[in-house]
Formats: sequence, structure tokens, C-alpha cells
Amino acid sequence: MNQKVENKSEGVQVQASQLIVFEHADLGYGRRRIITDLNLILSEGDYLGIVGPNGSGKTTILKAMLGIIRPMKGTARRDPNTLIGYVPQRQFIDEVYPLTVSEVAIMGRYPLLSTFSRPSRADKDFVLECLNHVGIADLANRPYRELSGGQKQRTLIARALASQPKVLILDEPTNDMDIGSEHSIMELLTKLHDEDRITIVIVSHLLNVLINHAKTFAMINDGLDMVGPVDEIITSESLSRMYGMQVEVAFCNGRRVVLTGGEVA
Amino acid sequence: MLSLLKDYPFILHGPLQAALVVGAVCAFLGVHVVLRRVVFVGAALAQVSSAGVGLALLTGSNPSLLSLLLTLVGVAAFSVKSKDKRTTQESFIGIGYAVASAVAVLFVAKSAQGEGHMLDVLSGNILTVSASEIWQMGIIGLIAIGLHMLFQKQFLYSAFDPETAQSSGVKAGRWDLFFFLILGIVIAMSIKLAGTLLVFAFLVLPAVTALLFSQRLGKIHAIAVGSAVVATVLGLYASVKFDMPSGPTIVAFSFAIFAVAWVISRFR
Repeated sequence: MNQKVENKSEGVQVQASQLIVFEHADLGYGRRRIITDLNLILSEGDYLGIVGPNGSGKTTILKAMLGIIRPMKGTARRDPNTLIGYVPQRQFIDEVYPLTVSEVAIMGRYPLLSTFSRPSRADKDFVLECLNHVGIADLANRPYRELSGGQKQRTLIARALASQPKVLILDEPTNDMDIGSEHSIMELLTKLHDEDRITIVIVSHLLNVLINHAKTFAMINDGLDMVGPVDEIITSESLSRMYGMQVEVAFCNGRRVVLTGGEVA
Repeated sequence: MLSLLKDYPFILHGPLQAALVVGAVCAFLGVHVVLRRVVFVGAALAQVSSAGVGLALLTGSNPSLLSLLLTLVGVAAFSVKSKDKRTTQESFIGIGYAVASAVAVLFVAKSAQGEGHMLDVLSGNILTVSASEIWQMGIIGLIAIGLHMLFQKQFLYSAFDPETAQSSGVKAGRWDLFFFLILGIVIAMSIKLAGTLLVFAFLVLPAVTALLFSQRLGKIHAIAVGSAVVATVLGLYASVKFDMPSGPTIVAFSFAIFAVAWVISRFR
């Protein structure tokens, strides 16, 4: 456990600025520690996938990155100039609210406004640009609750982009989606990373969705198990050990595929 | 109706004005009570507030003050989010409702004025309301609606998606507490005029009626307030004409409006 691989993601300069740094951090809720002695650095330009079995503490790390929870021990430092856009699991959004797509997306501007001010014309125009960027400008006046899963996810991504973030953190962005929507959301995130140079962190238990997009992986299993580039982390051995079952990483048309079956001897 | 107003001019003054003010303010805030799924917080706070009135009758203190104080204690208690997975938040709200109702009855029963005041606590004293009480309620109502409009973006964000709001620096917990404080003060002031039944009905029925008709918050507020106003005018008129208690009659009209709205919304 706690075998660590140097955090060197593809295409990222060694001197790239550090946006979030955990040093010997214990994370949890109340008195319950979920993650112990976490050492993890998120640098500018990273495309980090946080993976692990259900209940392993992935969301706990995400909440600590967002500053929603503080370390019980150790430190979690965030570059004060780094704006983080958060895309929560869309199932947690209460759809009883009668809000249009643009009314949801404009919430992304709220952190940039003063306590008493309302969104200006420029804010509204910028939000429309963000909706256009994620391909749903035509849905701006549609009720959010009437959208499909993929369209809702795009709305939440547009809302996160509306705050002009340096980092985009997404929690299980493709849960309960069909493969078409799943693919187009992951393509959109890769475009935001590659073309807009947004640092991306995705928490997901869906390995097959993530392994062909994220460049760096942190494997979580009762704490940080390993962190490093995809080639070093997403291997048959490491996944078999983490999930306690036979897992194979194969290649098909140059893309990684995770196959499961059988018990580990 | 005009002859009735001539015969009973008082309904043009205190009762009508008081019911309109309480109805409009509660209907406006009720939209957010319903959307936040905290309808029973409204009911429980109304009972806690009436327990305050009962305690005041028992101790000979100021009913407004004790009602307000107890309601604020209720606000603090109900806004705490329990992390205990063995129980639910709503079970505590249910306990609060039941205990506050029982305590209110016990306080009033043991007070010097006795059970004669029980009906006042339940139905308010809308027919004997004074001009200063209406002014007081009107000013508090305006402040409550004004604060809600001023901080609409914070209230909305923290209720719609608290985790994301929290992550972007909006203190969702504090804004929730602020919302419940405003609601608690409005309920405590309204109870004295209109009683628990009418206040609770105004918090729920007009809002649900409005939500059936529109998907825009601005329109929903307007329809909710309008529906409360119509129910109040028709209810008070009918209560005087047919010699029925005013609060329940207004509630009956509010339900009738909701029922018609529901039928229309099914065929739209």
C-alpha cells in the first residue's frame, strides 16, 4: 500500500505550477478518517482520473480539493488564484426547481459577483457563449428538468465554465448514461483540456470510460494506492490487486479496454 | 357583495387587510418552502410559535416576544442537518411538530385565561386585529420579501445545489439559516393574526397552485400571491355571509382554487 509513482503526466512540464497540494493529509468526516497520509499534487495542465472501488474515498478527496472539507491532519494547499469549477453528480440536483438551462448556467457567474449585484447583460452573454461551447445554446430557454441526462451534464459543465475556471472537477460525470452520451461528454472534456488548456480532475468508478481520456491516474483504495501516468497505473496487476479479482487491461484498435473475470489466486 | 360590505364594513378594515398581508407574504415565501421540500418545517415552526403564545398566556408575558423567541429556537433546531444515518431530518421535524402542538395545548389549558384562548391560538384573532398589528405585519412582510429578492441568487444557489454553492464560496449553510430565520419571524408574526391553520395553508396551497401553472419564478411568485389574495377575499366574504369561521373558510377557498388549477393543468 501507499506505493507511490512520481506524478509525471504526459505533456506537463516538470515546473508546471502546482494548483492543489496535499501533504500527509488525513481526510474524513467528524472523527472518522477515510483517507490517511495523502500526498498528491495537482499541477496546471493535468488530466487526472481518480479511480477506485465504491466507498474507497474518491469523493472525500474531491471534497477536500474543493475546500468543502479540511484535512484532519497534514495540509491541503490551493493556489489562491486558482478558480475551480465543480460539476457535481447530476442526480444530486433537485429538479423540482423551475429553472431554465440558462438560469442554471448563470449560477456559475455568482461567485464572481458582489453580494448585492445581479448578473449583467455581459454575464448573460458570457453564459450563452459557454452554452454554445458545450453545444447546447439552442436549449438556453428550455426547462432544465426536461433535458436528457447528457444535456443536463452539458448544462452543469457550462455552469462550471461560466466561472472561467483554471480547474474543472467532475464527480462521476457519465453515471447512468448511454454509450453515445458517455462518449460525447468525454470527448467534450478532452477538448476542454486539449484546446482550452483547462486542468481536469474526474472522479469515476467507470474505468473503461476514463482510461482512454485521462492522462494521469490516482488509484484510491483505503488511502492513496498509486499515482502516476496512465501506462504505469492502469495495468492488469495493479487493477487486479486493487479490486481483489482478475482484471486484464487489453488493447483494441489502439484503445485500452478493462476486462474482468475470475478470482485472484 | 357590495351590500354585505355596507352591512359589515369592518371586513374592509382589519380582518381583510390582515388576511391579505399574511396571505401575500406567506404565499411569496411559501414558493421557496415548497421548492426546498421543507413544507413540514413550516408546519412545525407554526406549532412552535403557537407554543410560544401558550407560554406567554401561562406566564403573563408578551405573546409576540415569546412566540418569536421560541420560533427562533425552532429555526436553529430544524436547520441543523443531522449526520446520524439511523434517523432522518424529517423525523426530528415530526417530533418538533407533535411536541410543540402538545405543549401549546398544555400551556393554554393551564393558563389563567384557560381553554377559551385555544381557538385564538389555532385560528388567530383576525376579526379583532388592530391597525398597529397590521402595520407591524406589513412592514415585516415587506422586509422579508425585500431581503429575499435582494439575496435571491444566494438563496437559490444554496437551495438548488448546496454542494456546488459551497465549493464556490457561497456559505450554503448560513444562507439556509438566514432563510429559515426570515421564515420563522414571518410565521411567528402571522400566527398571532391568522392562527396556525391559515398560516400553514398560505405557505403551501398558493405555492403549489402557482407551480402547476408556470416554470418561471417571477410568474410563480405573482400567481401564488394572487391566488392567496383571491382566496382571502372570497373566504372572508363567505365567512361573513354564511356565518362561518374565517380561517377555515379561506383555507377551503384556497383549496378550491388549487383543485381548479390542478384540473386545468391536467388538460393543458
